[in-house]
Amino acid sequence: MLVNDPEAAHWPIDPDRLDLVEEFRARPRGPHSDELRKLLHRMRWSGVGRRHVLIVLEPNRRWMLGRMPGRRGAPIETFPNRIFTNLAEAEWAVFAMRWEALTGQKIEDAESKPE
Amino acid sequence: MTDTTAVLGYAWPLVVSPGEEVAFHLSSATLGGAEATLLRVRCADPDPDGPGLRFEQPGCPVDGPVALRNQPLRPGSCAIVPDAPALNRAGSLSVGCFLFPTAPLAGPQTIISRWREDTGEGWRLGLDAEGHLEFTVGGTGRQWRAAAQLPLIEREWAFVSATLDAEAGKISIAQISLDPQAGRDSSGMAEGEGPRGLTWPEATALVIAAHALEAGDVPRTAGHFDGKIDRPRLYGAALDAVSLRALAETVTPAPADPALIAAWDFSRDIPTGTVRDLSANRLDGTLRQLPMRAVTGANWDGRTVQWTEAPELYGAIHFHSDDMHDAGWSPDLRLIIPEDWRSGFYALRLRAREGSDDPVESFVAFFVRPPLGRPRSKLAFVASTATFLAYANSALRLDQVHAEAMLEGVITLSRDDVYLQEHRELGLSTYDTHSDGSGWCYSSAKRPILNMRPRGATFNYGNDTHIIDWLEQIGQDHDIIADDDIHRHGAQALAPYRCVITGSHPEYFSRQMIEAFDSYQRGGGRHMYLGGNGFYWRIGWHPAQPHTMEIRRGMNGLRTWEGEAGENALSFTGEPSGLWRSNGRPPQRLVGVGFDAQVFTRSYPYRWLEAARDPRIAWAVEGLDLDAPLGNFGLRGGGAAGLEVDRVEPTLGSPPHLLWLATADRLDYGGVPTLEELRTLHRGTMGDQNAQVRADIAFFPTARGGAVFSTGSIAWACALSCSGYDNSVSRLTGNVLRRFLDPTPFGGFASPVEARRRAIRHLP
Repeated sequence: MLVNDPEAAHWPIDPDRLDLVEEFRARPRGPHSDELRKLLHRMRWSGVGRRHVLIVLEPNRRWMLGRMPGRRGAPIETFPNRIFTNLAEAEWAVFAMRWEALTGQKIEDAESKPE
Repeated sequence: MTDTTAVLGYAWPLVVSPGEEVAFHLSSATLGGAEATLLRVRCADPDPDGPGLRFEQPGCPVDGPVALRNQPLRPGSCAIVPDAPALNRAGSLSVGCFLFPTAPLAGPQTIISRWREDTGEGWRLGLDAEGHLEFTVGGTGRQWRAAAQLPLIEREWAFVSATLDAEAGKISIAQISLDPQAGRDSSGMAEGEGPRGLTWPEATALVIAAHALEAGDVPRTAGHFDGKIDRPRLYGAALDAVSLRALAETVTPAPADPALIAAWDFSRDIPTGTVRDLSANRLDGTLRQLPMRAVTGANWDGRTVQWTEAPELYGAIHFHSDDMHDAGWSPDLRLIIPEDWRSGFYALRLRAREGSDDPVESFVAFFVRPPLGRPRSKLAFVASTATFLAYANSALRLDQVHAEAMLEGVITLSRDDVYLQEHRELGLSTYDTHSDGSGWCYSSAKRPILNMRPRGATFNYGNDTHIIDWLEQIGQDHDIIADDDIHRHGAQALAPYRCVITGSHPEYFSRQMIEAFDSYQRGGGRHMYLGGNGFYWRIGWHPAQPHTMEIRRGMNGLRTWEGEAGENALSFTGEPSGLWRSNGRPPQRLVGVGFDAQVFTRSYPYRWLEAARDPRIAWAVEGLDLDAPLGNFGLRGGGAAGLEVDRVEPTLGSPPHLLWLATADRLDYGGVPTLEELRTLHRGTMGDQNAQVRADIAFFPTARGGAVFSTGSIAWACALSCSGYDNSVSRLTGNVLRRFLDPTPFGGFASPVEARRRAIRHLP
């Protein structure tokens, strides 16, 4: 039985590479540089802890932040205070949480959203 | 936020003709009633940037209030053998089988039983919560139990057995590991006190892979087992484990042995729902919820990978505690389709709590096609029901590690997805794994399907309705025909049409379906393939159960689970499964292009190639600027070439007469080639460095004036409506459709050999 290992992505993240953070903030939906792609793969493969997701409130207009429970059948955790009206903004919010989880460092001015 | 799941249902049959009856089987755990409206679907995609949800309401007797009730789903497969006198013999008893547990720590499970949970009477061989083999005997208000010391090992074969020695007043169990070295030995025995004389409960079914909750021949069941059971034996005497194992090793035990109560051989009648007993008692059983057959037994030795060649090596069934084939709901509404209804994608809409903060709007989809042989249009659009079933209730984005990396962004979940996360009893898709990690190989329409209906996930069903919406917009009449019919009736389902359109992602084809299209094209039919990753997987349809398909994914292709060794032939038909490319019929041979890559970062425009200026194709490009990009817009990623894309490849069968009209071959780093496109591993295979990662548009004529036009991209259909339907994708599609409906043959394609032959024929 061939399975995907959620821990397989192991590209080392350098907390000093704030240039990658700024590159993502400027263009959450890409295209991205080679190194930013590696950082994103590291984040997206495992989800960095319980995986954050978006729940559609209005098709292609409004989304709410959610988090997978980590096991089948259990309810998805929802964050009704975290509503997004564009996907770039949502991508940035999830990126900022994952950056902090992986590096232990909070992104300053994380509320400053992508345009 | 609209509640799309407070009421759910399925239509049966899934595909009907005017004059035939369709029944709606509905259930709600919370609503007492809803307002039903029957609709013909024009566009099922709620995206406000596109056409949005669009329906026609033909008006019919089911429109109006409908009372709802809660009808539970009972997943989990098993075999049921109705009560019989042979099962009620007094005295000693032995039971044994080969066992391959796949989730031994998932909770207590029953392997084989004649047990009533409501009274605690009978006998039951099972696993406890820690995976220890246990044998329980109950009656006269008392229970006796023996359990093994070592747990069984996940995905390792063992012979397991239990004995009641009524004379000695003892029960015992034994387990023998078949590969007892290198730390895999969990063999052992245990015994305990047992009853000396006991009367078995009456009217109690024998159940394999579960136990009965109650009396009767069709009991509800519980304790469903995950894993394979091979050659179960039941014997009316106290046998030791070695003798019992010898009885199971024998593929054909002596039926005349009067102590042999039952010896089931699961290698008999593999395509059916019957399990056969080889004993003189003929205790045949019936399978419930479609467990996986044609799986390797404990004796499989790799000398064949095709069950039809040595069925005796395939005497196992893989049962799953979450198998779901038939919801078994009672119908709530019935409708005879009026004779004058147009064929189409139809849906029953159910609304409740209207005007509240949480209004309910749920749909139950079905398809209306014209009666066989009585077409109502020159054009048919194919409802890709095989593909819809393959994806039915996909939990890929909920469960699979790779989903977010593959889709290149945070996963977005609809309310249907949120519901499915908590309600696995609906049964998942053939993209998913069972709770024990094994792949789902069957899918049926006798259960609610959340992503084959309006408002659902847009992939497949929703995207395909963009083509229907476009046909309605240009005023083009058309029939709908379904994969089910093309499989059952073959080429004659297609033959009446001058042109047939297959949709955005017609991925799953049986041999009969591929042959029907091949015959149609060779007989002068015109085929427009307006999608990507089509004609890709080889499937089977159940020989008796309608709307039930099977896929064995094997070890090649873009597969979300890998088939197990020796288990990649279809149980329904005995045919090989896997990719059509691996079965001698690459998609390029049929439609000129075949799947080569995914691209989820964004979608791209095509650029026209020199062949687009060929005068033989002038009718296709009329009104189009061949120096401008084609399809630099679209609802999926901003382009017409994207998601999953196909390319021309002569070595895989793209024909010599093919005109390669356009390509999108600069798909950048997001263009990821499919696995079967790589022979060896090396860097540089992504779209930014690899020109074989691309979407191609192709045309070629076929015999007797037929022709094929392919666009090679799933995103194509969702670009048709852009700029008020006035755009290059719509224009090219319209030009081709108009010409394909014109019976005039396509000239100028004679090969040098044909031209010479004709010249000779016309010599004076």
